[in-house]
Amino acid sequence: MIHPLLPNQLQKTQETMRMAAEFILRPISRKYDKAEHEPPLEMEQLNQAAAAQKKQTGMTDDSVKSMDLGGRNLWAVISLEQMCWGDVGLFLARPGTGLGNAAIMAVGNAEQKTKWGKRWAAMAITEPAAGSDSKNISTTAVLDGDEWVIDGEKIYVTDGDRCDCVVVWATLNKNMGKTAIRSFLVEKGTPGFSVARLEKKLGIRASDTATLIFDNCRIPRENLLGGKEEIETDANAAKKSFGGAMQTFDNTRPMVAGMAIGLGQAALDMTRALLAEEGYEDNFGASIHQQTAVQRELEMLEAELEAARLLVYKSAWMMDNKMPNSKEASMGKAKAGRIGNKISLKCVEICSMQGFSEDHLLEKFSRDSKILDIFEGTQQIQQLIVARQVLGKSSRDLK
Amino acid sequence: MQDYKTESPFDITLSEEQQITWDMLRKFAETELRPQARKTEAEGMPSQELLKKIKSLDLIPLIIPEEYGGMGLKQDSVSSALALEALAYGDLSLAMSISIPLLTAQIIAEHGSEEQKGKLLPEFVAGSIFQVGLGINNALISTDSYQSSVTAKELGEEIILDGSKAGVAFANDAKSFLISASNESGECGLYFVNKDQEGLELEEKEFMGLKGTPFSQINFSNCKISCSQKLGGHNYSINYQSLIDSSRIGMSALALGVCQAVLDYVVPYTNERVAFDEPISNRQSVAFLIADMAIETEALRLMVYKSAALKDLDEDFHKQASLTYRFATHHGMKIGTDGVQLLGGHGYTHEHPVELWYRNLRAIGIFEGGAGV
Repeated sequence: MIHPLLPNQLQKTQETMRMAAEFILRPISRKYDKAEHEPPLEMEQLNQAAAAQKKQTGMTDDSVKSMDLGGRNLWAVISLEQMCWGDVGLFLARPGTGLGNAAIMAVGNAEQKTKWGKRWAAMAITEPAAGSDSKNISTTAVLDGDEWVIDGEKIYVTDGDRCDCVVVWATLNKNMGKTAIRSFLVEKGTPGFSVARLEKKLGIRASDTATLIFDNCRIPRENLLGGKEEIETDANAAKKSFGGAMQTFDNTRPMVAGMAIGLGQAALDMTRALLAEEGYEDNFGASIHQQTAVQRELEMLEAELEAARLLVYKSAWMMDNKMPNSKEASMGKAKAGRIGNKISLKCVEICSMQGFSEDHLLEKFSRDSKILDIFEGTQQIQQLIVARQVLGKSSRDLK
Repeated sequence: MQDYKTESPFDITLSEEQQITWDMLRKFAETELRPQARKTEAEGMPSQELLKKIKSLDLIPLIIPEEYGGMGLKQDSVSSALALEALAYGDLSLAMSISIPLLTAQIIAEHGSEEQKGKLLPEFVAGSIFQVGLGINNALISTDSYQSSVTAKELGEEIILDGSKAGVAFANDAKSFLISASNESGECGLYFVNKDQEGLELEEKEFMGLKGTPFSQINFSNCKISCSQKLGGHNYSINYQSLIDSSRIGMSALALGVCQAVLDYVVPYTNERVAFDEPISNRQSVAFLIADMAIETEALRLMVYKSAALKDLDEDFHKQASLTYRFATHHGMKIGTDGVQLLGGHGYTHEHPVELWYRNLRAIGIFEGGAGV
């Protein structure tokens, strides 16, 4: 049945998450935007609220934390959306949640999932010379006896300082391209693994973004996620192997897109609230001759946001129903990333000096939003993925 | 935050029945409508033979109650939207040659008095589907969309109409018109006016697009009708905003069909067209336009579905329909113009349908009352 609507139960989840966002995140939004690199201790409260919510809805696993969503992707997307209506940076800084957890769940074997699934795992992929082209990473992993030796530098690692462990992408053989890339779990405190520095950023300042150095860092042989030590020479098998790793992103793109939707909604809501103090009212559906420029602008932005939201919900719903969703996940991420950014910047303009001022959070939203169109695959990478699928092209034809 | 009530899960799967109708109408659009689009445009209206085929789809009898000779099936809004999308994939003009009379029949079946229904509905099944011309579009530029550029002045048993309605389809075939007019207290209602009524004058108009549908303007000058000619009877009042909103979902569904047609046309074209020794779609500047076209088309589809689903739940769908029509207007035009752009000079000529779609998509956001759900 065509019914792109949320059932009452999910609407209740929305309400609960919105309350948590409003009463736990919002009051400390500015504090941690200012106090960059200071761990937001209040976020523990949020974990407790989430635990209560879990109990209320009768969920047995800590889904968002472990990223093992088993049919609960839509639930996770709308939860994240509401959390990020509160504050994207704080949400990212929430203890216990990391992108590495998604990788463990996507690539790890049963034993690894049990062992590390509930630890706070960050994800280290990007390097100074390799961003979106993750097949060109140069961090190496060499088997020496019963240990892997990891060497290299990783940048832009979200939660890289505060996490318990890191999923590190490294190559078994630099000459063999993506077929030789594997992910490894490295525990915090392992000799040879250090946090070199924390970035100062445009936005999401509550979240730590670290540069990690691996210098002759030795980890147990069983820390290779998925356990596949041999390099496939058969092209198809190789493609499948890397595809498996990239699948992590098909799963997490709807989540990050959901974050952009929440932020976009927050900016629109705050803009309306500020405008209402000066007598503004919406005038949906009126002709351009009856609307003010601001009514018109907000209506269009709201339409774009709603369109993005439905794309994202659909991609999550496909995951829940075990449908391949690579194209849809990228469609949602592309649309949500750019529209979240556009909305937040436009809202600053609409609210003029108040929008630009640190008295309100609009300016912060407009800084936070930019990263959502960059990480988990930039706008351009998403367009590339969508274009290849729509046009039926390989990465060799459409570069 | 959401504010509707439903227990059903989020879902985007066509029901078996919807799938069958979809397959049938989409095939009809591809094999019967699309090949006739240019000819219909050149002749200014569909051929009698094609009209016969369109009528034999039985979309109108389907929704007309059994006592008036129809099948009396309650069509849900989502299924209506799917049908409109499928037909517009063939050609927008031709899709509207069925969607406009269908909407007219829907309005009469839902709001007409017993007498009006008894007189008019059987004719939609047995006679001409164009017997009643629908006059919703405003002739003045700046009239409120939820009001009419025709005024209805009530004087006892008499109502005097003044002003003009634009874009009335198949007016020459009509015996009467159902037109919207605003009264002095600011309520907009619908009124039947016979074609031979004094004070009514027809003027044929040509538009930049939708040329396969003949359109006329109706000018009213001190046109006196009886108060019993009000749709639903003298004291009946229609929720005109809701009618427009419903039609906007329908117009958006039509836009969606055309957007999908553009996308499905530019993909093989840009894959085959070679420049600088490789297909032009190997270039990101071309490929990204197409990616965005696919993204916005899919988004529009979900917007249309959601609006229609909300209406089916009997929830307030005003905001959702407004957002959807705004989205369809903006991105429909973008997709129309990118469609021509991607074909370059070839797209500018009649050798390809993209220039036709470009002109037709410009109607979205302008036409009201062109399709209902």
